[in-house]
Amino acid sequence: MSESMPTTPGPHAVPQVAMSTMSTLATRTGSWKYQRPVYHDRVAPCNARCPVGIDIEGYLNLLREGRVDEARDLLLQENPLPAVTGRVCHHPCENSCNRRALDGAVAIHAVERMMGDLAHQRPAPVFKGTPRAERVAVVGSGPAGLACAYHLARFGYGVTVYEAAPEAGGMLRLGIPEYRLPRDVLDRDIARVTAHGVEIKCGVKVGTDVPWSELTSAYEAVCISTGAHTSRALDVPGENLPGVRPGLAFLRDVNSGLRPSLGERVVVVGGGNTAMDCARSAMRLGAKVTVAYRRTREQMPAIKEEIEDAMREGAEFVFLANPVEFREQGGRVHAMVCERMALGEPDASGRRRPVPTGETFVIEADTVLTAIGESAALQNFFTDVEGSDAGLRVDALGGTSRNLLYAGGDVTDLERTVADALGAGKRAAIGIDRHLRHHAGDTAELNALRFADGNLSAARWTGRDPVRRTAPVNDVVTPDDVNYTQFRRAPRHGDPHLPSAAAVQSFDEVNPGMPEAVAMEEAKRCLNCGVCIECDVCMIFCPDAAITRTDGGAYVIAMDYCKGCGICAAECPRGAITMTQDRP
Amino acid sequence: MKKVMVGNHAVAWGVRLARVEVISAYPITPQTQVVEKLSEMCADGTLPARFIKVESEHSAMAAVIGASAAGVRAFTASSSHGLLYMHEMLHWAGGSRLPIVMVNVNRSVGAPWNIWTDQNDSLSQRDTGWVQLYCETNQEVVDTTIVAFKLAESLNVPVMLMLDGFYLSHTAEPVDVPDQELVDRFLPKRVATYKLDTEQPHAFGALVKPDAYMEMRWMQQEAFRQVPEALAGIEQDWARMFGRSYGAIESYRADDAELLLVTSGTVTSTARAVVDARRGNGEKIGLLKIKMFRPFPTALVRDALRGVPRVAVLDRNVSPGHGGIFAEELRSALYDLPDAERPELFGFVLGLGGRDITPAVIDEIIEQTRAGTVPSREDLWVGVNP
Repeated sequence: MSESMPTTPGPHAVPQVAMSTMSTLATRTGSWKYQRPVYHDRVAPCNARCPVGIDIEGYLNLLREGRVDEARDLLLQENPLPAVTGRVCHHPCENSCNRRALDGAVAIHAVERMMGDLAHQRPAPVFKGTPRAERVAVVGSGPAGLACAYHLARFGYGVTVYEAAPEAGGMLRLGIPEYRLPRDVLDRDIARVTAHGVEIKCGVKVGTDVPWSELTSAYEAVCISTGAHTSRALDVPGENLPGVRPGLAFLRDVNSGLRPSLGERVVVVGGGNTAMDCARSAMRLGAKVTVAYRRTREQMPAIKEEIEDAMREGAEFVFLANPVEFREQGGRVHAMVCERMALGEPDASGRRRPVPTGETFVIEADTVLTAIGESAALQNFFTDVEGSDAGLRVDALGGTSRNLLYAGGDVTDLERTVADALGAGKRAAIGIDRHLRHHAGDTAELNALRFADGNLSAARWTGRDPVRRTAPVNDVVTPDDVNYTQFRRAPRHGDPHLPSAAAVQSFDEVNPGMPEAVAMEEAKRCLNCGVCIECDVCMIFCPDAAITRTDGGAYVIAMDYCKGCGICAAECPRGAITMTQDRP
Repeated sequence: MKKVMVGNHAVAWGVRLARVEVISAYPITPQTQVVEKLSEMCADGTLPARFIKVESEHSAMAAVIGASAAGVRAFTASSSHGLLYMHEMLHWAGGSRLPIVMVNVNRSVGAPWNIWTDQNDSLSQRDTGWVQLYCETNQEVVDTTIVAFKLAESLNVPVMLMLDGFYLSHTAEPVDVPDQELVDRFLPKRVATYKLDTEQPHAFGALVKPDAYMEMRWMQQEAFRQVPEALAGIEQDWARMFGRSYGAIESYRADDAELLLVTSGTVTSTARAVVDARRGNGEKIGLLKIKMFRPFPTALVRDALRGVPRVAVLDRNVSPGHGGIFAEELRSALYDLPDAERPELFGFVLGLGGRDITPAVIDEIIEQTRAGTVPSREDLWVGVNP
């Protein structure tokens, strides 16, 4: 203890310097403020954009803290198939990542894949909710059906999945080639679903082997997730010639182990993921592949990495080419006549519309694989269920127009991706659970289960969200909210690739995956948008030293001193502090 | 230990020997070498101080204010526009009675833009509550830097040291570097009267109401009144240990002088040579060097100039619309001398923006002063055709 400071020396009874002689509460400078900071955890854009509804920011944060098992469990609360999505998801999370503006999006897909693979080596404990008496049937074991069954099982229901094919997986098994999604990986992820008590009856086609009416009478609820398996027709002359076939049927053959003969030159028509799968599979069967697409590369709906891989592996691309006729020679297709297109005004999808120029040209082909989209076969279902050519119509919880009949995935008229299907399955599961529990909630309550306008969170629905959030608001953090100067640059880690020359020789997985240590480093690149991670920046920057940290880690703002200057909110690296004029 | 060094490095050596604990400074010509040398010393560990990098001089002064308020010995350096940018914080340091020492390398103030020396930058800060000391040689710079801390800490007043840009800052001279052990004995670790202390928490710098503000200003004024005597005592100690002293003012060959030159800064050295030459001719010409400008050593200069017939004041500065600033201060100081004892005072404004002041220029000033019949209120601008 130093010698006491002379507070009232000299004849004037005032100190030499302007020094307080009583508590600083004598002047409550905090009373001057007209606004005050509030810790409001907000929503990271990855979470908002994830069609599955994964708390991505949450599990990346747990990884940053080295809490790997908790991160895995959080991921598995929302996504039954992380090893699958880690490989094949179109990762809108990364496209929306605020780190893009700094030095590249966090490679979330690679981290998710590492977590998915790690969960195979070190499985999470199976979670079963309090058992429920009701039973639910799920028709179709693609991602939507598996997700619906998985979540229902975790909510406590007995679930039976009916699958027409000999093995479970739907489009994951029949549509996606092995070089993107090895079958043992898929099997292990599906095994997680069955480990939760879900029964999958393969080789049973509902509507043929079992009447729909039997399902509705034997189960309290039914979820339809039968997918979309019909390749859309081009409607041009010669489409039925031998050698012209739907790409999806080709993939189904290849993915079932067949190796159809294609001839030397294969033309793939389309620019989506099915087209890319067709092109790369055909190359692996020895063909020289040309992809014909009626718009340009920019408008291709396929995942960017798939397009890059197809190009790297040697596929040739002809853009602005629209097939108008197939020509025959010797009883099978021998050439495709294309009309040269030009880009016009944007269409409903926002992409520029292809418009005909009248000019034609010819591409020679021994086989043509068409991949311009798929549609669901709806004729098989109940006549009283609303839908259109685009698929079944469902509400926000997967409910169809018929009571206790739910639907999800490609069979509905919503987005057709693996992630969207997983998200739809979860929505249907929550919808069924809510209905069977006679839980009457409102829209506001449902919105509280979402990350902003994203998908529903199963963790929030069950009240088992382990992530502590301070006064959360459903507001997505934009790049303007991020204080990039607080972050050190750290370039994104890239995916490894098999050399293309070797890759096209087999159906081995092309991307061997990021090593675990690298993926853990990548996870640390997360900016934790909108979520306080107790970095102390606010405390350091507060000019009034009005912010302190409690033993529990949370911050407390001494409102007697806070002048509402807003520096904490401006300096917060991640937009987790909001200035408000509301009174406390 | 003798070393040859430029004035800016002499500053750094003084700071190092004073065992300064916190330095925050922003580089500016012609002070940059001070910052460079100090940062090198901090980097190589010869000066175990915390060097705080900042984005401006305002922040540099704010940082050393914080450090000084926390009870440690703190230093900064600047020049010209950098010093002006500190202006608000200079007041704050003065009013907070923080014993900060800073060096200002005198440089003219733009516009017009100019990097060479004159004193307008520091003189325009005269009312900020800082002691101002103008140095003549590099030896004086080293010695005064250390002395300044002792002075500052004994009265809780900040001290600003001046050296002429380039003429001193960039001129190499032999310097007898004081022995560290002796310096440590002369200037022990600072013991702060007031400091930010978690053991005795007080808020500093809060609002002071009219009922106490004037009393605090009065105490500041009282402290400034004590500076000349305190400096004399401290310099006595310094002289005992190191054999050198400078004084708030210095009379040079002034006995029986009929004409005294009054100078500050490096012009003094030139003027000494002129005085020596004139004395060699038997002319009764001497010199008064004013080192301390604030507080103005009124009593000392009155004694030194009492009864001298004519005085020529060399001002490397100007207060536009008035005149040379030292001349004005001297007129004010001599005003209440009896008529018989009050010298005739001639003011000369010269050397602005680094213009050279040669012996020939000083010779001309001597001749003009001798020829002058009525002291001019409007100081003479040397070398400028009206």
